[in-house]
Parts: sequence; structure tokens; C-alpha cells
Amino acid sequence: MENAYIELKNVSKHYGSIKALDNLSFSINKGEVFGYIGPNGAGKTTTIKILVGLIRNYKGKVYIDGVDISKSRADYSKTLGYLPQEVGFQEWRTVDHALKTFGKLSGLKSKYLEKRIEDALKLVSLTEAQYKKIKYLSGGMKQRLCFAQAILNEPKILILDEPMSGLDPTSRFQMKNIIKEFAKTGITILLSSHILSDVQDFCTKIGILNNGYILKIGSPIDLQQESQIQNNLEIVFAEKPLIYEDLTELSCIDSLERLSDNKLLVFIKSETDLDESIYFILKKIVEKKSKVRSFHILKPSLEDVYIKYIRGGV
Amino acid sequence: MKGFYKSKVMAILWFGMPILSFLMHFLQEGVEDLPISYLVGLVVASIGGTLASVMLSTSIVNEKNNKVYNLFLVRPVKRYNLILSKFFAVYSCLIIATIISIITGIVIDELTIGLPPETVMEQTFESLSISLAAMAISCSVGIFIGIIISSVASAAIISIYIGNQFSLLSMLPSIFLPDIDPILFTTIVGTIITVFFLLITILIFKRKQI
Repeated sequence: MENAYIELKNVSKHYGSIKALDNLSFSINKGEVFGYIGPNGAGKTTTIKILVGLIRNYKGKVYIDGVDISKSRADYSKTLGYLPQEVGFQEWRTVDHALKTFGKLSGLKSKYLEKRIEDALKLVSLTEAQYKKIKYLSGGMKQRLCFAQAILNEPKILILDEPMSGLDPTSRFQMKNIIKEFAKTGITILLSSHILSDVQDFCTKIGILNNGYILKIGSPIDLQQESQIQNNLEIVFAEKPLIYEDLTELSCIDSLERLSDNKLLVFIKSETDLDESIYFILKKIVEKKSKVRSFHILKPSLEDVYIKYIRGGV
Repeated sequence: MKGFYKSKVMAILWFGMPILSFLMHFLQEGVEDLPISYLVGLVVASIGGTLASVMLSTSIVNEKNNKVYNLFLVRPVKRYNLILSKFFAVYSCLIIATIISIITGIVIDELTIGLPPETVMEQTFESLSISLAAMAISCSVGIFIGIIISSVASAAIISIYIGNQFSLLSMLPSIFLPDIDPILFTTIVGTIITVFFLLITILIFKRKQI
């Protein structure tokens, strides 16, 4: 595949009789922020464990920058940053001691490592906790520390497995901002999550996984368009409209729902052109001399798209 | 290594073992004729080895269950390095604990019963070799149990029973064959059993899915 930086070809993995991945194939281009979404047990963590080298007995091929990772694991792991779903540290270590150990294992030299620790802790706002023991850190701080260890070696690929799971709203907000900032640096990121708003916020490409294979892959906009979920219009009138019956006659309208006396929700048929439908609806409103206060197109959210694909609607 | 020498278990070993041996010397019947330096070696070998075995197995199980190794294994590090670093960290701490204990014993022997230096040294070296061989076995068995077992409680119980029994194997040559050189044979048996357990552990860990 052209320009593919990360490429999985027919990857399968079984746990006993359970099929975790079923001929999984997809690719991620350099600099893309790839959102990997799917329900629990879909195979997200298995894919990630294969990518980071924690699972080595699988069928199929995984290429990074055109090189089979099973043949150049040591070189590849130097370019990798990984934030696991479950964060585990040796909690008797201080933050500084833990990061120094990880840095040394990644092959970083002492002086450069100290600079990197300083930079990474600054990015995740943990500078003040540098000499604190890990056991005294909160859950959110540990997650940020985990992010710091993932970026310590200035990775070319950053793999984040459910980075926001189990965090309180404040910590989630902080973590989202950290990832957003880091995504701007242009490195390739794979982010798995089942919290779709997290993915929608900063992913340039999304893959929907279910039962071990990719159901759909594309940009968030493309997925929304391809899902053929009907667009809705919310029209707020200045007064109670008298055009309800007239609108139902329009062939582009699927149904109508009165939200209040002067608020109307219009469901547009998915197969019709939205712009054309809006033209006919507005034309009808003008013909009937109804005064419109506001007019909104309610596009399907990523959540709607996700549910539709997972339920097999497409 | 940095973590182990600071740990409470090691502090107990470093200071507790000489105190325990000293107390045993005066309170336990039948051992008052033995030099403290010799007794210290036996106490460290039996209690220290068991303690190290339990500490290693439970800490490995705990770290495995908490996914601590994930962050190590995604880096360019060989799996066997993790096993060997665990072994040498604890074993070297135990060697230091043994040396402290035996030096304390020699000093006390000199001050109390005033044994001739050559007798003290001979018995001390003998007890030291038994201690080191037994502790090496205990540590390797502790790591082996830690890798194959997934419950902390089971790992602790198995380490206490099996770890301690295996460590005694290093003492068998000198018990059954009184004419052989105990230092040489204890060292050989201890090394063979330790290497055997470490190799098996490395092979299992290499194939194990973390």
C-alpha cells in the first residue's frame, strides 16, 4: 500500500478456541492520528499488543515503514512509544528513578535522558512530582507519568491504548489536551478508545473494529457521509407554524417531529441530496409565509455512525 | 538493585540476621559450642534464602499481575535480562547481608571464646559457601515460581516449602560424603541447580504471553 507507515496484512490471533483477530488488514499513513474504535472484546488491545511486540505468536504480517517487525524488533522498539490500557509501575520507585530506568532500557544516554525527563514531565505537568514516589501519585498523575514514559525516547510512533479510561473529568481533560498538543508534532499516533468523543476530537482517520476485523475505515467526515444515516433539520419558527401538513407532502422528507409549539425536527430521507432537500423545505416555508427564527442541520455524530456499523446497519 | 538494597526485607536481613544468630547462640540448647560465625552462616542460608525466595516469587507475581513488565518488554531489552537482573539484584544483596553477618560473628567469636584464627576461618568459609550456594538456589527457585504461578498467596506458600527444600540440596554432598571437600562440592551443586532453574525460567518467560 502506498505511503503506508504502519501496515497489518491478514493478521489473525486465537486465544485457544477464541478468535481475537480475523484476517485483520489496515494501514496508517505517516503523521496520521488513527482512532481505533470498537466494543469491548473487539480485538483492539490484541492488535496493539501485536504492534508493540508483547504478542509474538500470530498469523499474518505487520510492517512498519515497509519492514517486517518480526525481523527488526529491536530497531523498531526504539522508535515506539506505548501507553498501555492498564498502567503498572514499580511503585517503590520515584518518578525520576522510573523514567531513568525506562530511558536507559530504551538506549538513551545519561545527559540526553535527563533533558528528555525534564521535557516530558513539563509536557505532562508533573515537574513538581519528579522526586515523589509513584505510590503517592493519584490515578490521573500515574496516567500522565505513563504518557511521559511513552514519549521519553521521542518516538516516531505513539500507541495509546484507552488513554482516558478510568480518569475523572479533570484528568480526562488534561490528558486530552496533552495528546492534542502532541498530535500537532506530526508523529504517527494510534489511539484506541471506546469513548467516541475522544477519538472524534483529534483523529484524522478512524477504524471501526468488531469481532476481530475492520468494519469500516476512513476520515470522520467520510464515515459520517458513507454511513448514509439521515440528516436532520431543526427549525425554530417565530410562531406556531401552519405548514406541518404541507411539509409532509415533500418527497425528500421522511418524517416530522414536533419538539415544541414552534420547534420542528425534520428527518430527511438518507438517499436524497441534502442541499436539494433544504431548498425545497425553505421554498415551502417561504410560500406559506412562515417566519423562521433559526435553522440547523443536525449531522449524524460519530456515535450514530459507530452504532450503525456495529449493529450491522451498513 | 537500587530498590532491593533499600527495601525493608533487606534491612531486616542485614541487621536482623546477626542479631538472630547471636540470640540463638545463647538461647538455643546444643549450639553454644558452635562458633557464632558458623551459626550465622547456617541461619542466613536457611532464613535468608527462604525470605529471598518468597520475596522474589511474590514480587514477580505481583508485578506480572499489575502489568509492570509490559513497559519493560516493549523496549529494546531481551526478556532474559529481566530474569537475570532480578536474580543478581537480590542475590548480591544477600551476599552483602551474609558478609555483614559473618564478620559480626567472627568479631563476637574473637571477643568471647577467642577461637584460633585458622579454625574460625575454616569454619567460616565452609558456612559461607553453604550459605551462598543455598541462597543462589533459593533465589532461582523463587524466580521460577514467580514466573509460573499467578497467585501471590500460592507463590508465597510454594516458595516457603519448595524453595527451602531445594536450597538444602547444596548441603547434601557434605552430609552424605564426609570425605569430600564441602566447599567445592557445595559450590558445584549450588551452581548446577541455580543455572538449571534460571535456564528453565528464561525459556518459559520467553514463550509466555504477558
